[in-house]
Formats: sequence, C-alpha cells, structure tokens
Amino acid sequence: MHIAVCVKQVPTRDWQPRLNDSGTWIRDEDASFEMNEPDAYALEAALRLKEQHGGDVTVCSAGPARVTQVLREALARGADRALHVQDDRFASADVYGIADALAAAIRDEPFDLVLTGLQSDDLGAAATGVVIAERLNRPHATIVMDVQVDGGTLRVKRELESGWFQWVSMPLPAVVTIQSGINQLRYATLKGIMAAKKKEIRTVTPAAAIDARQQIARLYAPEKGKKTHLISGSPAEAAKELVRRLREEARVIA
Amino acid sequence: MDTLVLWLLVLVFAGAFVAQVAARVRLIAIAPNTFEITHPATRVARVLVEVFGQRTTIRERPIAGVAHAFVFWGFIAFAPYTASEFLAGLGIVDVTDSGWFAAYRILLTPCAMAVLLGILFLLVRRTIIRPAGLGTNVSIESVVIALFITTLMATFLLTWWIDESTTAGRINWWVHVSVILGFLALIPGSKHLHLVFSPITWFLKSPTLGNLPNLDFEKEEVGLETVKDLGSKAVLDAFTCVECGRCQVNCPAWGAGKTLNPKTIILQTEEALLAGTRDRALVDLYSAQALWQCTTCGACENQCPVGVEHLPILIGARRGAVSNGHAPDYLGAMYNNLERRSNIWGLSYGEREKFVETAGLETFDPAKHDVLIWLGCAGAFDADYQKSMRSLFEILRAREVRFGVLSKERCTGDAARRTGNEYVYQELATANIETLTAAGPKTIVTSCPHCVKTIGDDYRTFGYRVEIVHSSVYIAGMLNELQPDETAPASTVTYHDPCYLGRYGGTVDEPRALLARMNAQVNDPVRSRDNPSCCGAGGGLLFADKEEEPGTRISDMRLTELQKTGASTVVTACPFCSIMLKGAQASRQADVHVVDLMTFVNGRVRKL
Repeated sequence: MHIAVCVKQVPTRDWQPRLNDSGTWIRDEDASFEMNEPDAYALEAALRLKEQHGGDVTVCSAGPARVTQVLREALARGADRALHVQDDRFASADVYGIADALAAAIRDEPFDLVLTGLQSDDLGAAATGVVIAERLNRPHATIVMDVQVDGGTLRVKRELESGWFQWVSMPLPAVVTIQSGINQLRYATLKGIMAAKKKEIRTVTPAAAIDARQQIARLYAPEKGKKTHLISGSPAEAAKELVRRLREEARVIA
Repeated sequence: MDTLVLWLLVLVFAGAFVAQVAARVRLIAIAPNTFEITHPATRVARVLVEVFGQRTTIRERPIAGVAHAFVFWGFIAFAPYTASEFLAGLGIVDVTDSGWFAAYRILLTPCAMAVLLGILFLLVRRTIIRPAGLGTNVSIESVVIALFITTLMATFLLTWWIDESTTAGRINWWVHVSVILGFLALIPGSKHLHLVFSPITWFLKSPTLGNLPNLDFEKEEVGLETVKDLGSKAVLDAFTCVECGRCQVNCPAWGAGKTLNPKTIILQTEEALLAGTRDRALVDLYSAQALWQCTTCGACENQCPVGVEHLPILIGARRGAVSNGHAPDYLGAMYNNLERRSNIWGLSYGEREKFVETAGLETFDPAKHDVLIWLGCAGAFDADYQKSMRSLFEILRAREVRFGVLSKERCTGDAARRTGNEYVYQELATANIETLTAAGPKTIVTSCPHCVKTIGDDYRTFGYRVEIVHSSVYIAGMLNELQPDETAPASTVTYHDPCYLGRYGGTVDEPRALLARMNAQVNDPVRSRDNPSCCGAGGGLLFADKEEEPGTRISDMRLTELQKTGASTVVTACPFCSIMLKGAQASRQADVHVVDLMTFVNGRVRKL
C-alpha cells in the first residue's frame, strides 16, 4: 500500500508569537519550528498501516526551505521518502494555497491513501485535508480515530459529538484526517536518524501563481484579562452554583 | 628421574593454564577497545588499596573479607616459596638449603596458619552457612579449591615434622607440588581467574562511577546490540567476576524481587562469550525485562571487590535497544517530551516562565550574580519541588547571595542518557552547553543530584568545565551564618542519601551537618552514606509503571527501611527521591513525613 502523509511545520508552542511590522503575520524569522502535532499522529497511523500491510510511506509538505527539518524528522521516524513543494510564499499561504500545491504534487503518484492531521496548531482551519480530497476528486473522512484497510476498502471510525462515534466505509484511494492522540507516537531512533540521511527528499516547484482565497488585513494578539466572580449565598448554595458554572460556563467538568 | 617427571608435569599443566587463559585473552583482544588509562596515579592507588589492601572485600563483609584477606596475603607471602621449590625441583637453581630460606620458612609458618584459618572459615561459610549472594547451589569447584589450599598449607606445615629426604617427606613434597599444578589448571576455567585478572580489572575500572563513552554518530555508533559489540573492559569484567554476589545483594531491583540480578548479567556475558554466540542480541541474552529494571544506582559497581563495571554493559545494551526502537512505551513518551518540550514531563515552557516570574528570579548575569541556580525539570515544573526551590531562594536571599537563572534551560538529558537514548541526550547537552557557555557562570548551584552528575561529569567529556555543586554543599558552606530557630521543637530525622549525591557525588557529610546545625538528631537507616539503597526512580524508572512488574515497589521497600529508625521525619535531597518516597508514603498512608532538605532547613533557620 502506498501512503502519503501531509505534514505542516508550525512554530513551537513554547514560542511567544510576535507580529511583524505591518501586523499581517508573525515574525517567523524569530520562531523555532516543529512538526504540527496532529500531523505527527497521522504519520504514526501511516507507519502502523505500513507495518500491518506493507508498502511505503511518503511524507509531503509545502513550505519554505526550513520545512526539510520536519521532513527529515518524519524520515527518521520511519517514512520512506519525502516530497517537498518548496516556495517561500507557503510560509503564510492559506488553506487553498497549501492544499492546491500538495494535491498537484501528489496527483500523479499512485497513492492508495492520503493521511493528514485533523488541523494545524497555528491556523487551525481544519480544512486542508478536505480540500486536497476535493482537488483529487477522492472520498474523504475527517476526525478519524481508527483506520482499517481490507483489500480495496477503507473502514474508518469518526469522532462525533458527545462521545458518539461513526464507522464509515469507502473505496480506496481516499483521504483521511486523523484525530490527535489516537496512538502513541514513536520516538526517533538513532538507527532511524542515520537511515534518514540516506533517504530521498524530492523538491518540486509549485505552479507560478498561488490561488489565495484569503487575505490577512491585520493580526491582533488576544487580550489577557482576569475577571473574578464572587458567588454569594450559603456555602451549600454557593458550591452548587460553582459546580453549575464550572460545568456550563467554564466547561471544565462534565 | 624426579626432575624429569616434574618437567613433564609442569609443561602439561602450565600449558593447560596458558591455553585456557590465552583463549580468554583472545576474546578480550578482538573486542572493541574500551580500555582507558586516564588518571594513572588514581588507578595505581586504587589497585594498591583494593587489591593489596582488600578494601571493598572487607568493607562489605568484614568477617568473610578478613578471612579472604588472610588467604590472599598468604598467597603473596608464599609466592617466593613456591617459586623456589619449583626451581629446585626442576633442577634450575636450589636456594632451599640457604640460611635465608630457613628464616623465610619460619616467617611463613604463622602465615600458613592464618591462611588455614581463613580458608577453613570460608569453606564452612560456603558449604554450611551458605549466604544468598553465593547462589542456591554449592559450587563444587570452590570446595575443591578450598581443599587444595588447605592441603597446600597442611603439607607446608608438615615439613616441620617430616624430613624431606624420607619417603614420607618425598610424598609430602609431591602432594604439595601436584596440588599447585592442579590449581594452575583449574584457575582459568573458574571464578579463580580473578587471581590473574582482578589487578588489571581494577586498574582499568573508570575512576568515576557511571562513566559512559559518548557515542560518535558520525561513526554510526548506536550502542551495544550483540555480544560482539561488548567492549574489551566488559569482556575482561566477565572473566574477572568472582561470583561473590555483593552486586546482587546490594541491587535494589533484586532486593525488591524483580528479574534483574547484576551478577547474572555478568555471568550471562561470560557464558555467551565462551559459547561464541557473538551475534546474539544482548536484549535477548539479558532479557528486556531485566534490562529496563536497572535504576543505575551504582551499588553493584561500588560494592564489587574485583572492579567489574555493570553500568556500561546495562546502559550500553539499553542504547542498542533504544537505537532500534525497542524502548518501553513509557520511555518513548518521555523521549517525545524531551524532543518536543525539552523537559521530562512535556510541559509547556511557559510553566517555567510563570515560576521564574512568581519566584522573582532574575536572568543570570555574571556581572551581577555570584551563582547560577540550575532549576532542573523538577525545580522548574514540579509544583511540589518548586516549594523546596523557594526555600533555597529564601535562604540565599537572607544571606545576600546574588543569584540568577537561565532564561532558557533544558533538561540536562540525564534520563535520556541513563536509559540509552544517546541522540536526545547529546541534542540536549549540546544546546545546554551552548546556553551555559554564553551565560558564563563560574559556579552553578542545583538541588538535583542527577543534574550535578550530568553537567559536572558528562558535560566535561564535551569540553565544558564548570563548578557545579549541590545546594546542600553550597548552603553547608555558610554554616556559621545559619542559626537555628531556638523556638522550633527538637526533632529526630532519618536522612536518606540520594544515590547520585551520596554514591556518585560522595556528598554525605554536608546534608548531615546542615541537619545537625538545625538541632535535628540524624538517624542513619540501614544502607546509608556512600552505599544507600535506591528510591527506585533513577535510570528512567521514575516513569515506569511499576504495578506491572514482578516483586514489590523499590520505593516501598526503601520507605520501610527508613521508617525503621523510628524517626517521624524523613529528609532527602533529590527531587526524584522526594517524588518516590512521598508517593510511597501517600500510597500506604505511612506514619512518616517526607521533606526535602532545603525546606527542612528553611523551616528551622532563624530568620534574619
């Protein structure tokens, strides 16, 4: 089975975002980057499918030269080769720009299954996988927790609201976006890191124009604020009210 | 005629000795070379103290140790006698009629009695007393050797009564000589090879505990995967092991009823080497379960009387397993935490920044600050240990010590290094060394003994040298400025020496001095100072799910030992020990209070 995994390189969570001078993007020259965590789960799911059914895993990313870092990391964890759609404009491209580029790059390759993370940790649009499926004219499923392949058929478990799940079947080839935390990520082994140095990263150039559907006029940092509520009444009443608010307003308890 | 027979016998038996030793020397020679002779003076001094002084042999088991020392010193005293007898018997040169030799014989007589006394006690101990460390079966070979030594001494003493020229005298002489020859042939194939190898093994043992070679990734080094990867020191160790079981009885894993037995590891190594199964995977040879039960406490190495190093073998084999993706699941998760978040718990760096801000810590500046405080993962992220860190800050501030912290600090990589993930360790070490070099502290103070070991010893091998001291040492350095609060009630405490502080660092007096200064009476538990019993957290086992393993929890076992002193307070000085012992205390609601040293001191010092 030939599997493609689309991964994104995002700023590390520890990085305190700062805006550029025009306020339209982050100062990404200051940032340190890592693999988008949901994509790491998609990669793990792909590697497990490969272990089960054989075949190979190709990791794909659209971005500037720096994204080779996450491609190399994926190769170290067990991906067989990498595909890098390289252009500096992808650093701030929207969902369509990225999805079009990735779809164009993988269209001519015989992939049975395309996996990607449910969403990205930076923009969080949760749409790239779906747009890729549309561009490739293939069936897709989102927020998937389990992937089972039987011959030419794909059976996936989707997460719905309130603890409900849905099993869906579709023919291969297909596109699936993976829910975070469904598996335990493997660590990069020394053997893997050494082997990754010898694996191929193919760089492709995207189409001349990037079809941007979205333009960022201005970014704002969310304002931090603290608000204290004093709950009045007897201790028993106040406790009841506190529980109600924790459940309904703060939603920290079920 | 006698001379000819003796020549023949010597050739046969000495030949058997040489052939057997040569087979082992060849296995040492073809192994990857790991012999190091740095610090030669230290090494020579240690050979004198350990081999000729029999220090470790006696320290751990005084009675059996002294008995062994009698036999050993007797051997040395007898060496010229044996040589002279053989030279005379072979017709080379005869000095046995000289006056000197007569005087020497007189001096040897009390030695022979001491050896006899020693060996008979050891024989009784091995066959009748049978301590656990010696194994369940009585070693026939050891009994034979003991009887040989007894015969040698008896035949020597008999020469005072039997004239050598009589038939009885000749028989006595031949018995003596034959036993020596038999001994010679028996040595190489038995644990008595330590007679030949242990001085060399002691000389080659690393002067620092837990010294591991750094893997060179450019040379594609990935650790020890199969038997043939074992280095020359490890192979020498396997042939030197005297099977006394001191490592076994001091091992916390073995004590808690787990699979790991350090003595078994060495014996399995020897067996595999002699069997020639050079491609056997070490993880299968030792079993993965045993391999991941080592807390790297170092008790095995420190109690070994013949200079065997268990940790390079165990951690080396872990490296081989980790490099192939065979680490236990809990470690895989921890490695990902270290890779992505640079701390063992995988917490966001913002958590550390919050603590730095609320504790009012400044960013270290060599022009403004006397010392750099290294927070460590626990100090930076663990809410409970942060309390201990705040205590340290209060003590320092009250004495106007100016200190700062790094703006970016990563885990030292201790947990990665001891569990065999050399890649993550070196990534973290390189990044930390870069940050530390830029910050330029002269002295680093930390409350984590693992950080002391890693930055102080391991980073040194990358060329980074700095004075790093444990907080107990730094605060004990200003003992005169610490006055106890006289209103605090008198108390008796049990002090638990952390392995990485007491055994690795040799820091045993400073924490006790601090406790005594605070008017606490210090009770030492069984296993303390430089041979403490482990809390169970080292070597990555802080993250292990101990419920799944056989035996009891190591932390439970240790807390029970600590409680036996009768003190209601247990003081320790390591974040890992603190987590483990507090966990053990809470899980069974033990009637004892576990507190970190800095918190204890700050709670009792008179506020300025």
